[in-house]
Amino acid sequence: MERYVLSEVCKSFGEVEALSPCSLSINAGERIALVGPSGSGKSTLLLLLSGILQPTAGTIEINGQFLHKIKPGKELSHLVGMVHQQLDLVPQLSAKHNVLAGRLGNWSFFRSCLSILIPQELETAKSALKLMGIESKINTRTSSLSGGEQQRVAFARVFVQNPDVILADEPVSSLDPSRAQAIVELLCNTTNQYRKTLVASLHSIDLAKKYFDRIIGLRLGKIMFDIPASELKDDTLQDLYELDEEINSLGS
Amino acid sequence: MNKFRIGPQTISLLNGKSLLTILLLTSFLWSLIQISWGNIIHPGGGDALKEMLSGFFNPDLSLPILRRGITAAWRTTAYATAGMTLALLIGFTLGVIASGSLPIGGRYKVLIAVIARGIAGFLRGIHELVWAWLFVVAFGLSPLPAVFALALHYGGLLARNFSEQFVDVPTSPLNSLTTAGATAWQTLVYGRLPMALPNLISYSLYRWECAVRSAAIMSFVGLGGLGFEIRIALDDLYYRQVWTFLFILMILVLVIDTWSSLIRKRMAQ
Repeated sequence: MERYVLSEVCKSFGEVEALSPCSLSINAGERIALVGPSGSGKSTLLLLLSGILQPTAGTIEINGQFLHKIKPGKELSHLVGMVHQQLDLVPQLSAKHNVLAGRLGNWSFFRSCLSILIPQELETAKSALKLMGIESKINTRTSSLSGGEQQRVAFARVFVQNPDVILADEPVSSLDPSRAQAIVELLCNTTNQYRKTLVASLHSIDLAKKYFDRIIGLRLGKIMFDIPASELKDDTLQDLYELDEEINSLGS
Repeated sequence: MNKFRIGPQTISLLNGKSLLTILLLTSFLWSLIQISWGNIIHPGGGDALKEMLSGFFNPDLSLPILRRGITAAWRTTAYATAGMTLALLIGFTLGVIASGSLPIGGRYKVLIAVIARGIAGFLRGIHELVWAWLFVVAFGLSPLPAVFALALHYGGLLARNFSEQFVDVPTSPLNSLTTAGATAWQTLVYGRLPMALPNLISYSLYRWECAVRSAAIMSFVGLGGLGFEIRIALDDLYYRQVWTFLFILMILVLVIDTWSSLIRKRMAQ
């Protein structure tokens, strides 16, 4: 079953073309890693898939309906969830409230206000944090959690939100290699377990090859390759990064 | 070489800055001559001043006076607190609307925000003492004018500060809440409010302290409280009592200040 169908989608910011026209389809349950040097358009592609950005041209379909016709809010939140690079949690709230924010699309205004005083569906938050291995931090203020813990809270929120597709922009960029591996493994296993579609941008090729089904390589806003993870060769990668270095050195 | 050096120095004596200095200095000296020094302190004023100063070192600490002072201080605090409570209601409501962060009024959202800002500006543009006078006309000499005057002026002050705090909150956590399915109202409760709250509380505590001082001043016009006691004591020339009441006011403000800074410290942790 096709989750996403992108036809001739492109995105420009003023004169700058962040993403050249590209077409691709993403199947339900696929785990896709976006790789490529900084500024290659990975984040732009993710923001387009999330519906936060609208394409300059072309269309994106999700579950057979046009993404731009779906109102942001409740309906969209059931389809797509996103974990941003800067996590974007509310630092003053406790971990449980940041996790339960994933339920806001299903709650009335009254219930969400009540939840600040008497946490609603606390069991959901507990089990999501348990899944992420930080159940003990449920009442801790988010600002006093470490970077890795905040990462886990952000993922717990998106699992509580329970969308069909989970998008993650550089989910492990701020973590050391061993923690990064643990987080990516956790993310991939959990999305697999709940049959979610996962699209994540990564800097680490090793993690992409180890935990993802399909790897899309981007450079200067163009898709350079789109292949199963098992078929990724070292020289393909070298092309992806080296070519860019040449252009960078020409530019400077 | 020498000429070269002297040149700029001579010019600097006559440049705009030094001219202004000379002008200001001259006008100050001239004003000293203009004052008729003989009339600056009225006859007997010197003695009164001496008595007032001696009162500072020897305030009236007798039990009835202390009791009267403490009751008056309690009353002043109560007026200030009642006024602040109303001001918080006004300030929060107007502040939220003026921040334009809620979908109130659909396509007239901006207009409504501007109107709210205008109302807040009008409320704080009129001094609380003037409000008090206006209300005395309507309600007579009762504590109500003081409470309403504080509520209106401080409501306007809080509204302006609160609306700025709501706008200045970082936007990315708010966007992230929207992606998680939150409506604008839910984003207010889960994003803007918790992120702005430490600043809102610390500003409100500071304003509460100001309200206590202001309530004391307003009671000069006969609304009861510390200011009223101070005025009566002054009229009767009981300077030792004046100082007792002033010290009580200082202690009151100090206690509130210490307490609020303790709260602020705890919030920062």
